[in-house]
This record gives sequence, C-alpha cells and structure tokens, in this order.
Amino acid sequence: MRGIPTVLITVSPEVSVQMRPPRAIYPKDFRIGNSLGRPGMRDLQKRVLRDAILAVTGPARPGEVIEYSYPEYLA
Amino acid sequence: MTLLSRKCVPFTPLDRELSKCAVSLVTAAGVHRRDQEPFNIADELGDLTFRAIGGDAALADLMVTHHHYDHHDADEDLNVVFPLEILRELADEGLIGQVAREHVGYMGYSMQLKQMYEQTAPAIAEYVDKKAKADLVVLTGG
Repeated sequence: MRGIPTVLITVSPEVSVQMRPPRAIYPKDFRIGNSLGRPGMRDLQKRVLRDAILAVTGPARPGEVIEYSYPEYLA
Repeated sequence: MTLLSRKCVPFTPLDRELSKCAVSLVTAAGVHRRDQEPFNIADELGDLTFRAIGGDAALADLMVTHHHYDHHDADEDLNVVFPLEILRELADEGLIGQVAREHVGYMGYSMQLKQMYEQTAPAIAEYVDKKAKADLVVLTGG
C-alpha cells in the first residue's frame, strides 16, 4: 500500500507529540471538543482547516506539533 | 520528561498540488451516521470499529457517540470536530481539488492500543486508500 500524507489538528498537543505525528497543528488554547473552534464560528473553522491543509506544503517538521494562534477563539 | 514514540515518523511527502488533491477526514471524535450502529460506550475497553461516512453526507444526518469528551458543541455544529462543510467550501474555492468520496469516524478512546495500532489503524488506512481514494487526510480528535 502506498503512503498517504496526513495532517493532524490536535487540541491535546502534549499527548499527540508523544506519537510523533508526521504533521500536526495545535490551535493554541482550544479546548477538547473544539478542534476547529466553537459552534457557528465559520470563518475561524475555515482558517484552522486551511492552515492545517497548507501545513502539508510548508517546511517539513515531522514529529513536531506546530502551534497556531487564533485570538478570536478566546475573545 | 515527555516519552516519545521510538517508531520512525511515518512521513509521506505530498506528491501533487493541493488543488488536485482529494481530501478525506478521519476523526477520532466518535462521528457516525445516525442510521449506523453507534460506538459501544458500554465497553470500558473502548470500541475498535470505525464507520464510513460519504463525502456527500449532510451533517444533520450525522451524530457523535463518545463518552470521553464533552461533545455538546459538536452536537450543535459538527464542524468543530468534523469539518465536512468547511472542506466543501475549500474545494469550491479551489484550495483543494475535491472532497474525497469517503471519510471515517471512530471512537478515539481505547484501552486496547495494540489492537488499535495493529488492526484498526491499518484497516482505516486501507479504507482511505482504496475506497476514499484520498490523496491527503486531515485527522481530528475530540
């Protein structure tokens, strides 16, 4: 079977990093159950998903969890 | 001290442009179709099965069965853990080629990690490869 590129959106970075995922983003301070934001925050949800997908074409940092900041989540 | 996996990082390069990729979602958040068998939350060891979700599914026809995270927000707007509608928008905008034909939900709490790693995960990967025909997978937890 061929390999398939993956990117993980995690809100438990300290747990996820132990598995050394090939690509992972952590939306800073998002709580469990809110991987892409809160209900109805369509623009934020799209930014998170877009950032995750674009991370696949960015510089490779396999095994790391990259932190992203979305202040509107906390506002 | 953080204990890191000693396994090699299974890094697979992307071999085509994003705008030509079919993207599949694989979520540990316990998402499944309402007409599918719910995950077994009565078994303290967890549920090793997964559910296939079509790329054309309406979010209203999906639900969450998972007892190890608070899914009230997901019940209100499933995009917070399973962003299928958002993925469609990104396909419409041309960031990705298309929403893959199949997506996967499973219940990401398990006390049977060996079986999850050696059986469930390869079965999901096989499904995503052969049935979903995905070029790229976005993974989400709860």
